[in-house]
Amino acid sequence: MSVAWLLAAFTICTLQAQSAPAAALRIDRAEAVQADWDSSAPPVTGWTLVTLMDYWNTRWPKHDGVVWYRLHWNQASTDAPIGLLLDYVCMADAVYVNGSLVHRDPQLVEPLSRSWVAPQYFLIDKPLLHVGENTLLVRVSGLAAYQPGLGTVQIGSDSAIQPLYRSGVRWRYDVRLFNFAISAVLGVLFGMLWLLRRRDTVYGWYALSTLFGAGYGWNYVTASTWPFGSTDAWQAFNVALLVASTCSFTVFLLRFCERRWPRTETLMGLASLAAFAFALLDPHRMGPWRNLWVLPTILFYYVTIAAFLWHAARSHRIEVRVLGVSMLLPIALSFRDLALYLELIHGNNYIGALTSPVTLLGMAFAVAWRFSLAMRRVEGFNVELKHEVDIATRQLGDTLTREHALALDNTRIGERLNLVRDLHYGFGGSLLGAIAALENPQRPPEPARVVVTLKELRDDLRLVIDTTTHEQDCDLAALLAPLRHRWSQRLDVADIDSHWQLDNLHGLHLGPARSLDLLRLLQEALTNVLKHSRASRVDITVRHTDTLYIEVSDNGGGFDPAAIRSRHAGGAGLASLHNRARRLSAELILNTAPGQGLTLLLKAPLPPVG
Amino acid sequence: MESTATSIDLSPTLIVEDNGPMQQRLHRLLRDLIGADAQITAVESIAAAKAQLGENATGMAVIDIGLPDGNGIELIAWLREHCPQLTCVVISAWGDEDTVLAALRAGAIGYLLKEREDAELTQSLQSIRRGGAPIDPNIARRILTLLKLSSEPAPVATPHIEAVQPSEHALSERESEILQMVARGYSNREIAELTTLSRFTIEDHTKSIYRKLAVRSRTAAVFEAKAMGLLH
Repeated sequence: MSVAWLLAAFTICTLQAQSAPAAALRIDRAEAVQADWDSSAPPVTGWTLVTLMDYWNTRWPKHDGVVWYRLHWNQASTDAPIGLLLDYVCMADAVYVNGSLVHRDPQLVEPLSRSWVAPQYFLIDKPLLHVGENTLLVRVSGLAAYQPGLGTVQIGSDSAIQPLYRSGVRWRYDVRLFNFAISAVLGVLFGMLWLLRRRDTVYGWYALSTLFGAGYGWNYVTASTWPFGSTDAWQAFNVALLVASTCSFTVFLLRFCERRWPRTETLMGLASLAAFAFALLDPHRMGPWRNLWVLPTILFYYVTIAAFLWHAARSHRIEVRVLGVSMLLPIALSFRDLALYLELIHGNNYIGALTSPVTLLGMAFAVAWRFSLAMRRVEGFNVELKHEVDIATRQLGDTLTREHALALDNTRIGERLNLVRDLHYGFGGSLLGAIAALENPQRPPEPARVVVTLKELRDDLRLVIDTTTHEQDCDLAALLAPLRHRWSQRLDVADIDSHWQLDNLHGLHLGPARSLDLLRLLQEALTNVLKHSRASRVDITVRHTDTLYIEVSDNGGGFDPAAIRSRHAGGAGLASLHNRARRLSAELILNTAPGQGLTLLLKAPLPPVG
Repeated sequence: MESTATSIDLSPTLIVEDNGPMQQRLHRLLRDLIGADAQITAVESIAAAKAQLGENATGMAVIDIGLPDGNGIELIAWLREHCPQLTCVVISAWGDEDTVLAALRAGAIGYLLKEREDAELTQSLQSIRRGGAPIDPNIARRILTLLKLSSEPAPVATPHIEAVQPSEHALSERESEILQMVARGYSNREIAELTTLSRFTIEDHTKSIYRKLAVRSRTAAVFEAKAMGLLH
């Protein structure tokens, strides 16, 4: 905002400086006469008195061609050269001092050189300069449609005039060149941004409007009509650029306010296309009648700006407000330019160019702000995304943990069911058998038998405890260790030498049920040895190849396999062994004869590993 | 390793057991082992045991785990502190490893299992009297695991390392060898054959292992046992 005020203050100061030069003579009285395009010398008659700044179209509305202007001044001394400043010439001119040519534009016929963009300055010395009356002739080529004419002329010492010239160039030409450059750069920059991010159309419309604006701004800088062959063609195309720039600027504002008005936008697009079409196809009508385009465009521009300012005033978004504020001063000053254009006031300079950088900067800030917001949102999104991913990961982890726990629970339940089954088949069976035996009224139980039965139950329970406690973390070798230890001790007490050979059992896991059956079978075999064999030595071999071999071989009394079946106790023991072997899907071989000990061999197939 | 076996006088013996028949069974076994003139006292609670035992009590105390007024392991820890001359033996029904281990760490020098035959219990008591200590594979395995966790190279410590670091509770090579054999189910006789040591020397090693377990901190063992939920 302060920049805007500074610029405005500068402008006013400059205008005042131009209007009141201390040591300069301002000439605003001249004579004028019409001539043809090819006039090489001023006509003798037909001169009229005019006041500078003079627009000849107000006097001769149809006159396209040449007008000669003649000015006189009195020179007191020729000791020092003088400066001659032509404030404004439209379009092309040739300058004569005392009949001698001092300047001529390259194109004095169509396409005319465009000298109106800057003041002209000449240093005049003797012998050209006379003491007394001097005559200045300015031959101006122009077209009635484009405000042809001559501005005031200032004469004075070089030191007085040259600063005026420099100041004029700076404010009328340099500022415009700067304006053109900044528009082009911003347009290209945001155009690139849009090319790489097509979805962000706000950048694209900003770039388009700025580039059209830059093209329009070239009108204030260029000295020729290139690339067009006539002033009409140039002016017509320039008007089309103004229309397109205004329309794309409106769309930019709509996008900037996150609005989309398809019908209005289509109309604007069509209007822009029509402007270009007319400019290229029919420049000689479009050029002279450019106000048919310019005035509605300017009106539309004001409506757009007003609507946007209204929106900005209600908006809480900082970039919208900044853009709104940056438009206030240029809009205010643009009314003066409009008056100048409409020839309501006379002047040599449109000051809009001075303030349009303010608007450009405001737009650049707003778009850049929007861009940085988007970037911040992207960064925030990354953080958010990471957060979300973390949450999801955690949830997934929790779910997996829960499922794992569930699976563990299921396993435990399964193991418990196995345990219950083991208790049921083994321990429970023995218990029921014992109860039945003890309750039998025909055979009142002798205490010794009761103790034997209970001890069997105890040993059975021991195995259940060992197996269920250690099955998970122990292989068969480790599971056999307590049994081996206990029975070594027990057989030792009974003076039976036990010799154990365990081969290749490390890492062998049979599962709780099969382990328990195996241990029980072994325990029953050893119980038989302890109770019935009258042996002094027993050899126990457990070997694992592709099959599991268990061999219990004693050197006791043995028995007659045929006879034993009729005897109760041994018969029951054997039946139990066969029963267990069946549950293991194993083959049980008894090898015995009276006086030859007993060899018990079990061959159990192993379930596939895993 | 030199034998440090010192035979233990089983008389007087204090039985701390609240189950009548089991108390009588132990009484009978001890009397049969020591003789008719044995001083055997039986009490049913920790309080009675503390009252019974003086500051300089000697002999043996056989202590059950679950007593009406507390836990046998606490009594063992208390006795190690107040009656250092007394040999404490814990009685367990089924030899639950956590319980037995906690008792050993509290200072018990052996354990008896109620589930065992009279002859086997007598054998264990004889072993204790000779200065040995009974052990079984599950307990051996637990001790190995415990020591492996507390100091990784301890179970297979070389003599050289032992010389450099004479840690009080690090097992000697021989001790860990014996523990590993026990864990595999070898009987004392088999171990004796394999190591060319006498059975009694092996029992003596077992006792040394228990002492090393207990020496770490008897009170800490009680706390640990409590933390493990063994004591209530």
